[in-house]
Amino acid sequence: MKKFSSLNEFINFRHRILNEKDVQYEKPILVVSAGTCGQASGANDVIRMIKREILERGLQEQVGLRITGCHGYCEVEPFILIEPGQHLYPKLKIKDVPRIIESAMSGKIDKELIYKEARGQKSYYSQNDIPFFKKQIRAVLGSNQKLDPIRIIDYIEQGGYSALEKVITNHDPQWIINEIKESGIRGRGGAGFPTGKKWELARIVSNGSTQKYIVCNADEGDPGAYMDRSLLEGNPHSIIEGMLIAGIAIGASQGIVYVRGEYPLAIKHILIAIRQAQDLGILGKNILQSSIDFDIQIVRGAGAFVCGEETALIRSIEGNTGEPRQRPPYPIEKGIWGKPTCINNVETLANIPVIINKGGKEYAKIGVPGNTGTKIFSLVGKIKNTGLVEVPLGIKIGEVVYDIGGGPVGKAKIKAVQTGGPSGGCIPASMFDLSIDYDSLTKAGSIMGSGGMIVMDENTCMVDVAKYFMKFLTEESCGKCFTCRKGTQRMHELLDNITKGKAKIEDLDLLEELAHVVKDTTMCGLGQSAPNPVLSTLRYFHHEYERHIIDKRCDAFVCKELVGAPCQSTCPLGTEAWRYTAYIAQGKYEEAYTVIREANPFPSVCSRVCDHPCEERCKAGTSGGDPIAIRALKRFVTDRIDPLTYIPDRTTWQGGKQPHVAIVGSGPAGFTAAHYLSLRGCKVTIFEAENKYGGMLNCAIPSYRLPREVLQREIDSLIDKNITVKCNTALGKDFSIDGLFNDNYSAVLLALGAHKSRPLNLENENVEGIFPSIEFLKSFNLNSDMQAKGRVGVIGGGNSAIDSARTALRQKDVRSVTILYRRTKDEMPAFAEEIEAAEQEGIKIQTLVSPTKVLVSNGRLSGMELIRNELGETDSSGRRKPVPVEGTEYTIELDTLIVAIGEDSGIDCLSPAKSSGVETTNHGTVKIDPTTLQTNRTGVFAAGDLVTGPNTVIEAIAAGKKAALMIERFLKNEPMKQPLLPRLPKVYVEPIEMDEEETKNSSRIQTPRAPATWRKRNFAEVEVSLSPDEAVYEAQRCLRCDLEFTKPKEKEVDLVGEEKK
Amino acid sequence: MINFSLNGLNAQVEKGTTILEAAKFYGFPIPTLCFMEGLSPYGACRLCVVEIGEEPRTKLVSSCTYPVEEGMKVRTASTRVIRARKMVLELLLASCPQSKVIQDLASAHHIMQQRFKQEHEDCILCGLCVRMCKEQMMAKAIGFSGRGEKRKLGTPFNIKSEVCRLCGGCIYVCPACQLRCTYTDPEKAICGGCANLSPPCVEKEKFDDMMCYMEPCVACEIKKE
Repeated sequence: MKKFSSLNEFINFRHRILNEKDVQYEKPILVVSAGTCGQASGANDVIRMIKREILERGLQEQVGLRITGCHGYCEVEPFILIEPGQHLYPKLKIKDVPRIIESAMSGKIDKELIYKEARGQKSYYSQNDIPFFKKQIRAVLGSNQKLDPIRIIDYIEQGGYSALEKVITNHDPQWIINEIKESGIRGRGGAGFPTGKKWELARIVSNGSTQKYIVCNADEGDPGAYMDRSLLEGNPHSIIEGMLIAGIAIGASQGIVYVRGEYPLAIKHILIAIRQAQDLGILGKNILQSSIDFDIQIVRGAGAFVCGEETALIRSIEGNTGEPRQRPPYPIEKGIWGKPTCINNVETLANIPVIINKGGKEYAKIGVPGNTGTKIFSLVGKIKNTGLVEVPLGIKIGEVVYDIGGGPVGKAKIKAVQTGGPSGGCIPASMFDLSIDYDSLTKAGSIMGSGGMIVMDENTCMVDVAKYFMKFLTEESCGKCFTCRKGTQRMHELLDNITKGKAKIEDLDLLEELAHVVKDTTMCGLGQSAPNPVLSTLRYFHHEYERHIIDKRCDAFVCKELVGAPCQSTCPLGTEAWRYTAYIAQGKYEEAYTVIREANPFPSVCSRVCDHPCEERCKAGTSGGDPIAIRALKRFVTDRIDPLTYIPDRTTWQGGKQPHVAIVGSGPAGFTAAHYLSLRGCKVTIFEAENKYGGMLNCAIPSYRLPREVLQREIDSLIDKNITVKCNTALGKDFSIDGLFNDNYSAVLLALGAHKSRPLNLENENVEGIFPSIEFLKSFNLNSDMQAKGRVGVIGGGNSAIDSARTALRQKDVRSVTILYRRTKDEMPAFAEEIEAAEQEGIKIQTLVSPTKVLVSNGRLSGMELIRNELGETDSSGRRKPVPVEGTEYTIELDTLIVAIGEDSGIDCLSPAKSSGVETTNHGTVKIDPTTLQTNRTGVFAAGDLVTGPNTVIEAIAAGKKAALMIERFLKNEPMKQPLLPRLPKVYVEPIEMDEEETKNSSRIQTPRAPATWRKRNFAEVEVSLSPDEAVYEAQRCLRCDLEFTKPKEKEVDLVGEEKK
Repeated sequence: MINFSLNGLNAQVEKGTTILEAAKFYGFPIPTLCFMEGLSPYGACRLCVVEIGEEPRTKLVSSCTYPVEEGMKVRTASTRVIRARKMVLELLLASCPQSKVIQDLASAHHIMQQRFKQEHEDCILCGLCVRMCKEQMMAKAIGFSGRGEKRKLGTPFNIKSEVCRLCGGCIYVCPACQLRCTYTDPEKAICGGCANLSPPCVEKEKFDDMMCYMEPCVACEIKKE
């Protein structure tokens, strides 16, 4: 193409291209995104495949190919988008490419490969309907899809350089600046300075020189931000056009694009674009005969984050080290070589042609007052749809995270969003109603920054996040200011100590003080915003810091020195799961039993009913494989060893008369506390209101999960000379707390549990045939009453519901059992294994239904009216609320209804009238000091479900054990609150030698169960124990996370067993 | 002449005067570390920060580099400034406790504690030696290299300098060196060779010849043998 020799020639050329485009024969186009992210995902292979197909089959007339930059939906790359239908085929494999080509040519959609969501349930035929795109306004990024970045004709076809035409036709700078001012656009680089004002100042400055510069700041240093890269790679001409307009507006004749060296594709594309523009005469001297000179050159960055700061950037362009200097004087007055320099961000410049084309007023209609227009964010982290999103300013954070981002990627809930990169801060999930604009974010303690948005979930440790950013900043600080250089180092040091459990509580104050001083005293923006990650995490996640420092725990299981082996760390009892697994692998079953029993007085019970938090955290599982079947291994050991063979250490009570402790409640919490108090030499009496002891273990957990003989044998092994159990004795009826103290008991532990079923709150819910779940289970487990008959319905989705359902199924007169749950199956709180076992036995589960009416006939239950739900808006916990759909009511016939929607603690016996003096909460639980487990009444402690509400067995046992420790300290007048240590593996267990072949197996052993057809008719135990071979196989799969902490220094043995010399 | 408010006082100075110079003229003490009369101001130590501006948009700036502006409001000893100075001194003590200059400054500001992990660094990167070498001695032999944690002082590419005239000016102005340099015999000793056998910017091991001109103190030579 030759150079245009006049403005008119250019105008005619442009209009001709636009007209030709409409006339052109519309063949379907295959659009493939090949920005850096696309190429990394394999787009190049897809393109090669397409080209080969087209050439080999001679399809040039029937289908076209367009290679573009990044569209923004990086999660689904590599993909092919078919135009004009906007059919998106995501995550392609090479072998599928010919099918897509066929589908494009025929015009029929390939239903198997088309974009789907909701686990393949919902297909989206047009890209515009996909939730990721629906709420976006892609004013700037949308063009990427429509053009090939290295073809200037494509850009012109899409209306490119029409803004330039307007500006050159009338290049009075005032109207240009007015348009920009009217649009209200603020700098998209992060500081948000009004661009119109900046240009105006640059225009009028006159420090005696005529040379002015316009700089495009493409040194996108924030980790996780890549919006500018996508714009430069995908639409470099828009930047050139923006710079041209800027240059004309402020009177600059030289433009410089400062692009970081780590963006080779962006550099390549912008260089090509500049050359093309120069060839056409759009850049250079006397542009289109307008007597305007403007040219652009590229300066490459050399890997310094600080060079994104404007004064450092100027130094770098001049050839010096990137070191910021004091402002004033501002770059507008004195910039490169002392000349006036206007520095704008890539995205700001990309918006300029949009503003000139639309008009400033029109542009200002999007967004909110003071924050107009759209902004591109890089949405990354623990989110389903990662990529670049362009949204109007003023949109809520929650909308971006849940509606566009698709919500969390696994089961962990989203906890916070980090905006602004290392200069920004974290916004907690509770504030997701916040509107995204410059001012709100600054007020919340963060900044807009260049647009990075990192989503964090429960498995992200906020202290670790602050530490990560601080490490980044210590390396990237220029180092001139003492406070920035040393301050970031010291902050990193303090944070490092916190994550390693070496910090004291005073260090938090020091950290905050230091952060404030660094913020105050540093000269440039890097240092001034460096403390933001620390300050914002301290503000919103202070309790995480305290957990690290005081309790020496990292609840996200990230900080290695506080976690140790995750299985041990997450077990409420601190059971060394790694240790007994290691012993099993070596065939040492008795040692394994000792390890289990030392931590847990109910090993046989837990090996059957525990919800195994250890398996959820097992590194074998979290690193992509299968977690070790720890509970099954425990069961294997406890089935072999008689509990009576373990003789625990006992001490006699020193210093005074043997104290007598009263424990109210004989469940796992109460019995555990009794056991440990007895070991320490106390006398204990357990008071139980029911006719049998064992608490929920006996009343509620069915015998097909926990056989009665096993439970009995285990509990009886704990009853020794110090312990007395009194059944049929209820608090508030047969005795009172005051009475206990009068009877010379020195301390009281309340472990009553949570036995009161929550009511449905529907009319007629007390008619015959309706049973609350706990009463239903108790009547069967304690008194062998079979209350279920005929067609049984169970309302609820927790373990109580499943237990009730499976128990009902086994009762004599029952025909069918259906579970009715108001949310989806994924959201059912019951253990996944239980749900699976229930379905295997033929129990039906109806989801997304809620009860509306109880149907009665002849004074007893005849059925239920239910309504269907659909999932509605996401609430602040990140879950979508079930919303009833009007008009979808239907009825089912039932003979029995079991209500299992949760339990409350039965604390009537603790009401003030019964003179207990114990404070309770609004949720029906007892209030305690969480560190000492003591209630407001001295000497009265509480533990278990009574405090937490319905919870797991292992948590109750752990609470009981802690209560015993606290009561012991209380009785000895020792301080109850003592400093804690991190629970790390301490004992060295040699790893077994395995050869290469054996280390390759990675799939988990299947827990054997009795066949469903047989087991659903009786109460025999469903789960069967592993065989010795299976147990050893599974135990050998353990990754031995403990060895890192226990391996002796002298002998370096690696896991495959070869001793290092 | 520029009119501005200095600690509530109506002050007047010539155009181009820095806040530090103005404060000195009016008798308000501002501590400094990287500032020296005769060398260009650098603004690295952040000890001389003062508060400028109107509430609530005040900020702290280094007074040695900031030129006085018309109508400016300056406070040299506000709460924010004092808190900043104390923390900076605490950080300095934590890095370089053996410097007499830093010790004197700390005690003058009543710093009683140092809560960070103690380090013993030789250099606080104040840049006095660089500016001395460049502006007074016109040699430009040493400078900064590296960034952040790795920033250090030295000759280009750490090769022996051909323009260094062994004047000792760098050692003379160094605040970190001071105590070492006046150890045992204040009158005579300038080079800290006897007390600490590796002065900061002139690493003996790197050069073939001895850099220090001092005699009879040849402690560095003795060490090499």
